[in-house]
Amino acid sequence: MSTAITVPEDLWEGDNEGVITAWLVEEGSQVNQGDLVAEVMVEKAQYEIEAPAAGTLTITKQEDEVVAKGTTIASLDA
Amino acid sequence: MTTTSTTSSSRKLTIARAMAEATAHEMRKDPSVFVMGEDVGPLGGVFGNTRGLHDEFGSERVRDTPISETAFIGAAVGAASDGMRPIVELMFVDFFGVCMDAIYNMMAKNTYFAGGNVKVPMVLMTSTGGGYSDGGQHSQCLYATFAHLPGMKVVVPSNAYDAKGLMTAAIRDDNPVVFMYHKSLQGMGWLGTEKGATVATPEESYTVEIGKAAVARQGRDLTLVSLGAGVHHCLRAAKTLGEEGVDVEVVDLRSLVPLDRETVRASVAKTGRLIVVDEDYHSYGVSGEIIASVVEHDTTCLKAAPRRVAYPDIPIPFAPTMEQWALPNADKIVDAFHQMMSN
Repeated sequence: MSTAITVPEDLWEGDNEGVITAWLVEEGSQVNQGDLVAEVMVEKAQYEIEAPAAGTLTITKQEDEVVAKGTTIASLDA
Repeated sequence: MTTTSTTSSSRKLTIARAMAEATAHEMRKDPSVFVMGEDVGPLGGVFGNTRGLHDEFGSERVRDTPISETAFIGAAVGAASDGMRPIVELMFVDFFGVCMDAIYNMMAKNTYFAGGNVKVPMVLMTSTGGGYSDGGQHSQCLYATFAHLPGMKVVVPSNAYDAKGLMTAAIRDDNPVVFMYHKSLQGMGWLGTEKGATVATPEESYTVEIGKAAVARQGRDLTLVSLGAGVHHCLRAAKTLGEEGVDVEVVDLRSLVPLDRETVRASVAKTGRLIVVDEDYHSYGVSGEIIASVVEHDTTCLKAAPRRVAYPDIPIPFAPTMEQWALPNADKIVDAFHQMMSN
């Protein structure tokens, strides 16, 4: 089963776009639900993205790529 | 850090998180460790390196200070001399001017003045470097300024693994340690993002010995010596030169005081060629010290005159094109090697 990692709609206020500043887990590695996987920066503030499920990570939005709320940034295959 | 943790064995950290994790670990273990500085509290540091600490340890042990570096660095020296282990932040190293008496007449010399009877176990952490157009009073490295003055250890990590281990070692050290972290390596997007600095970092506590360089890449034809962000420029240049068939070794100094001259000399003895890369100013600096450390020891190992790729002796320009022109980068390192071989 594949679960998308998306930017949560309530991660920051307003509809500004953000940028992925860091992936904190290697592509292809196994992560657990709730693991901190990435950081997104919006207007000089950083926000954390956690894994919504366990699985093997496939990154689709790399560091420095622009993201909005709801953007899929990776998938988890269990 | 903060409320979440990653349990995966492939967990990576930014340098900012690595510094905070090392600090939190030592604070849990040792009640004499505390943090002081501008915006280190609820904000978590403007460069992210105290994130989560205020939540866990509260306002007594993670203390926001007024904008008076003279006062709070002086207070840290007093606290350290009286048995505490303060970690104090000078937000931008460029601001050292106002508080240098506390740093180099008190922090660095009190142990000597007291005949060894007073220890000053404190960490002065401070941000370095530019590249994001913050002007000449927010963009310097000033590595050599601090490394030049006796009485302080000086460390400059290039990646999160070393940052965590060096921070733990710095907090446990009975001497004052200046922990200089480059803004572009912090994983804070607006300061430029150097992906190579965010690396696999163990959750458990460990130390990286202060005073030991690392060979970041092994090679036989050329030695590149650098520190902090410069290491990543060197690794890119090494890749480019590798495509030309040049086998490049990269030495990451990690510490300036003590300086691991042996690792540098051993590398140049093997390759015969040396280029030093430093984002600090060209003259009277780290690059000259490294070259002198090699040639005063042995000139016969050199196949070419050493070179340096350093910051020109000018104030840091604000204009983006002018600042980028002045900064060291991989292309300049490759060019320096080509010039070395054409002479």
